[in-house]
Amino acid sequence: MAFTSKAASLALSVLLGLALCTSAGAKDDAARLAALKSRIRSIAAETTYVEAITQIQRLGRAFGFYTDKGYFGEAADLFTDAGTFQWGVDGVYKGKARIKELLTRHGGGSMSDGPGLPFGRLNLRMQLQPLVTVAADGHSAHARWREWGLLGEYKKSATWGDAIIEDDYVKENEVWKIATRRYFLNFEAPYQGGWASLKPVPGNWQSPVASSFPADAPAPAQYQPFPAVFVPPYDYADGTLRAIQSRAPFVSPQRPDDALGKLEALADAKELQLARAHSVRAIENLQAMYGYYIDKGQWQKAATLFARDGSYEFGQSGVYIGKPHIERALALMGPAGLEAGQLNNYVMVQPIINVAADNRTAQARWRSDVQWARGGKGRWGGGVYENEYVNDQGTWKFSKLHYYVTFWGDYDQGWVAKPYPMDPPSTTIPPDMPPTVVYQSFPKLQIVPYHYNNPVSGKPTPGEQE
Amino acid sequence: MRKSLMLLIALTSLAAAVAQAQGASELQGLEQQLHGLGDRIQRLQDLTEVEIVQDAYGYYVDKAQWHYLADLFAPDATLEIGGKGVFLGRARVFEYMHVGLGRLGAHDGSLIDHQQFQCLPTINPDGVSAQIRCIAFVMSSGGWGHNYYEDQFVKLNGVWQFKKLHGPFNMYSGYKVGWLDNTILNTTPEKWPPYPDLPPTVLYMTFPNYYIEPFHYPNPVTGRPMPPPSPRAGGEAFGR
Repeated sequence: MAFTSKAASLALSVLLGLALCTSAGAKDDAARLAALKSRIRSIAAETTYVEAITQIQRLGRAFGFYTDKGYFGEAADLFTDAGTFQWGVDGVYKGKARIKELLTRHGGGSMSDGPGLPFGRLNLRMQLQPLVTVAADGHSAHARWREWGLLGEYKKSATWGDAIIEDDYVKENEVWKIATRRYFLNFEAPYQGGWASLKPVPGNWQSPVASSFPADAPAPAQYQPFPAVFVPPYDYADGTLRAIQSRAPFVSPQRPDDALGKLEALADAKELQLARAHSVRAIENLQAMYGYYIDKGQWQKAATLFARDGSYEFGQSGVYIGKPHIERALALMGPAGLEAGQLNNYVMVQPIINVAADNRTAQARWRSDVQWARGGKGRWGGGVYENEYVNDQGTWKFSKLHYYVTFWGDYDQGWVAKPYPMDPPSTTIPPDMPPTVVYQSFPKLQIVPYHYNNPVSGKPTPGEQE
Repeated sequence: MRKSLMLLIALTSLAAAVAQAQGASELQGLEQQLHGLGDRIQRLQDLTEVEIVQDAYGYYVDKAQWHYLADLFAPDATLEIGGKGVFLGRARVFEYMHVGLGRLGAHDGSLIDHQQFQCLPTINPDGVSAQIRCIAFVMSSGGWGHNYYEDQFVKLNGVWQFKKLHGPFNMYSGYKVGWLDNTILNTTPEKWPPYPDLPPTVLYMTFPNYYIEPFHYPNPVTGRPMPPPSPRAGGEAFGR
């Protein structure tokens, strides 16, 4: 009995000890488990958020591919049932059926014959430079786009179009749709003479479509097209800079070597991969935002997009360092806000964005086409950026912007017959450093060095001639 | 006493085992969730990688870097541009560019900027095949070009590459009057070398005529495939 009772008390104390031990471990494990679950929820929410940006980009591009081939019903189907379309100062058209007819009338299609365009009709409306902000609740979003139009009719007319689009989107039954489109036409300019030949438009400048097919409601605000300078309002969803943000740099701790630790490490890896995918979209938005500011001579706003010690180099201008110097360098393009008749469109396209493995820095190649006018003279320009970016506590900024000019050409005669050289470094606002690369623009050609290896072979692709 | 003690021990270990089993299945569930999210995150990365291959192609065309360009293609990839017919394999891709379009490298006075606009990539559920629709907007010494790409990609050894490049022309014009009337109707297989391995998959003429290259994707809102174009819209090639 003594033995039994001794054995029993021993067994009891061992059991108690074990129980205590596991309960301390269990408490710790429970906290780790709860933390992991919460991280998985936040990874899921962020994944949905980044997917939303890509789905909204897809909507806008699908719109472009429909309108350019006269698929106006398909384009109208990208809207909600109650969707609206404000066409410049013409007014607001409500509902899919009205939007379809609006697009058909502007594009030259037929309401009775189905999709397509008649012989000779050109209706290319390229949807470029998306700047997408998804609202915090994940159910609504906003984007700014640029439309670059090649319009006309064979043997009758050829026209350039330029517009800014401001869209609101909603997610209905898990599908993103356009709820409200505000289409701010800036100009439709004849090919002969181009935008620089446009004269100020007196008073009412509604399109012919507005009189034969009146809008359902007047436009909320009137404005004048180019050569007047009009800045379509920026509606960055809820006023935050979420569009250019992703996860701040983070270092994952060493995880314990147990079953839970393996999952924690897996979550770390997914979190980093997601952060980098998110950063790609933030950098796209940043470059687009920069372009929209430059368009309108908003030098101060553009300069805020640089890191404190960021640098700026344009053609052979030399290098400017730090926000105050960059703002002054940008102002070499013209007075703040630009004057009537000055066009400064830098279209941001063809991104190759590579985010560093640790999500702290990034590099990107971009291209700009430039539609330019000063003093009644028009020019075309083209060039390539090789930029660097830094993740500043979750907000992406330019650490280096370098625009290599490919060509400047006279509008009337073209870049072949009348190319212009680049401007030398300014003597009134001299740069902090001379140009990092000395070269000449077209008719000379310069291969801008690639920051990346060939994306398939992985081999370096030196800029020099093969 | 002993009996009840044994029972106590048995019950305790049973409870522990049940708790452990529950914990294990919970962890398994979380692991599945993470892998599910990982697949979606991978699709996001794939979208970017596919667009990079397409955009890199455009930058290589700019400077006639045909070796670098051909390296973007899978060994058995195909190429069909304009009305020139189909070229089979990476070596023939190089030949199409080098023999057909011009000598290697950038040459002063010859601008061939081949810009990639409005790219709409789609990653298929299998995760190793993808498509893209893009505009190629050309600003060259000759004037303007507006073309489409409807390309297919394959992921081999973890790397996205061209499986099929298909570039139907839309509008080519000179500079002086633009598309008012100075347009080029299409290329053909026979006019200059290299000659194709297969004839064109579709015959069509470009602006001012109408041709629509089918979309690889359904309408993103309705989910419906594209309706055929109106017979009034153009020639015989639409819808293929």
